[in-house]
Amino acid sequence: MADGPVDVRGREATPVSVAAGGRAATGAHGAAGPRQSRGPRSWPVHAALVPACLLLVVFFGLPIVRLLQTSFSSWYGIGDMTWLGTGNYTATLGDEAFWSSLGRSAVLGLGCAVGLTVIATVLAALISAGIRGASVYRVIFFLPAIAPPAAVGVFWALSFQPRTGVVNAVLGRVGLGNTHAWLADPGTALFAVMAVAIWTGVGFAFLVLLGAMEDVPVSVYEAGALDGAGAVRRFFSLTLPLIRPVLSMVVLLEVIWSFNAFTLVWALTTGGPGDATVILPVLVYKEAFQMGNFGPAAAASVLGGVLLLAAAAAGQWLGSRQTEDA
Amino acid sequence: MSTTPAAAERVVEIAGTTPRPGRRRRPVRRGSVLAQVGAVAWSVLCVVPFVLIVLLAFKSNADIYSKPLSVVGVDWNPANFADAWAGPPGGQGFASFLVNSFVVAVVALVVALAVGSATAYFATIAAPRVGRWVIRAHLVATVMPIIMLLIPYYSGFSALGLLSNPAALGVVYAALCLPTATLILHSFYLGFPPELRDAAAVDGLGPIATYWRIVLPLSRGPIVAVGMINGFFIWGETQVAIVLLQDPESRTIPVGLLGFQGQFSTNTGGIFAGVAIATIPVVVLYLVFHRSISKGIALGGVFR
Repeated sequence: MADGPVDVRGREATPVSVAAGGRAATGAHGAAGPRQSRGPRSWPVHAALVPACLLLVVFFGLPIVRLLQTSFSSWYGIGDMTWLGTGNYTATLGDEAFWSSLGRSAVLGLGCAVGLTVIATVLAALISAGIRGASVYRVIFFLPAIAPPAAVGVFWALSFQPRTGVVNAVLGRVGLGNTHAWLADPGTALFAVMAVAIWTGVGFAFLVLLGAMEDVPVSVYEAGALDGAGAVRRFFSLTLPLIRPVLSMVVLLEVIWSFNAFTLVWALTTGGPGDATVILPVLVYKEAFQMGNFGPAAAASVLGGVLLLAAAAAGQWLGSRQTEDA
Repeated sequence: MSTTPAAAERVVEIAGTTPRPGRRRRPVRRGSVLAQVGAVAWSVLCVVPFVLIVLLAFKSNADIYSKPLSVVGVDWNPANFADAWAGPPGGQGFASFLVNSFVVAVVALVVALAVGSATAYFATIAAPRVGRWVIRAHLVATVMPIIMLLIPYYSGFSALGLLSNPAALGVVYAALCLPTATLILHSFYLGFPPELRDAAAVDGLGPIATYWRIVLPLSRGPIVAVGMINGFFIWGETQVAIVLLQDPESRTIPVGLLGFQGQFSTNTGGIFAGVAIATIPVVVLYLVFHRSISKGIALGGVFR
């Protein structure tokens, strides 16, 4: 019923726009031409956008409001929230555990991002150079990224066991000793987590960087070769600068994801030994869902989230500024 | 001369004539040997853990510890899978995890793909200002750290009595997948030939009918790719599920698997069988569909 007039207008409008625009104009303004004529009958188009907006508001917008409310309140998981003011924030900011978990998150985030971006860049360079078997390597390198993080974590947790685990069995075979308790030693636990996070994370960075490298026209390298630039020189002065926007985006995403690598940590160590691997999401989880202190946990996640987004924005700004300079 | 294997290969590539990688036999060079060593080493690191997962899942508890790397003279114990399927005594096993994961995945994928593809398409033909804002909202949602959403999700679910409800978790996942789905499909629909739309309009189809009868059937490939990427996220997601699924009966595969660690303390074979059940299906799926998955990632797909 309501569709009637809309369709009629549509039928009228489109031939008009085609007639007015003509062939050449349609070629030049392909998208703009027909779009202008859609104004009057555009309501079903815009109505179709409503469900997505609703989902975003309900599952991203309202939760942030609710999180802020919780962070200013006292709440223990059941019953009503009572308004507290800034108490949770002052308590969190004065809490040694918050700062050390933030530090561990930062170490994990930066360490993973740098480590896996370097590995992924080298691998992508090999494949885009077309080494023999490239199409097979391309499939294999993404494999670790496909496995569920919980399964990856459980597998490596068992594999890092002293004497009995596979990692130590292999190390023992090559004469490096098989008794080290990688995850039970507070000195190595975070780095064992980092190694596993790098193992799972390389695949994604590899695929994205490979895509960027394959977008670089071959003629650029040919020109470089004609100018007498050596192969190494071409990688550093042509490939790297040309993929820098993608590279900085990959680093940024990886920092954010590793900063939040709750699942791997929970599966590998549940934050232990002691609190050697308690990164911020683990702290928030324990505080809220094991201790029932939702107020301080909410304050910690607000602070962590804001710091993370600020760091991401700063990184993005720095990245784009450098690109303009170059 | 060259020290970087990649760069050395490129010399060969430029000197040669065919731009297609890995097709021709080339003279062996120091650089390409180094490149192969590096690529093979990382491949071994990528593949061996999966081989071990399968291998260890079939071994008896004693042999998992005494000969983890052996393949001969091993006490094979396929009963591990029966243990993982039934779960630890008094607990839940994969028989129940699989059903829950399936419910969660179906709800999440149907909602995310239906809403995501419609949003992605209609954003390209909506008024430019509206389309831009909708896409921008999705971009903002992708950078939202999950850590900021956990506590509100819990309090909301608790207030509505939806804790431990897999279908409700599916709706949350649909929302978490929506930004990825919309953004990937949007970049696909931006390249959709406008002539097809105009032809449909000439034939008297309204925008909704055009979408349903012309656009959707032509975008089956990208939608499958997006569904796959979202599916891997849903299959593995743990952080939200561990908070929202409180009852052991409602747990999905990853949450249940984490529970195994504590409950199956003496049955390592059962845990490895669980790891294998959680891992091998997605690996097989990936090996079959790797082309469209890689394409989806290149178009901007992410796993959270």
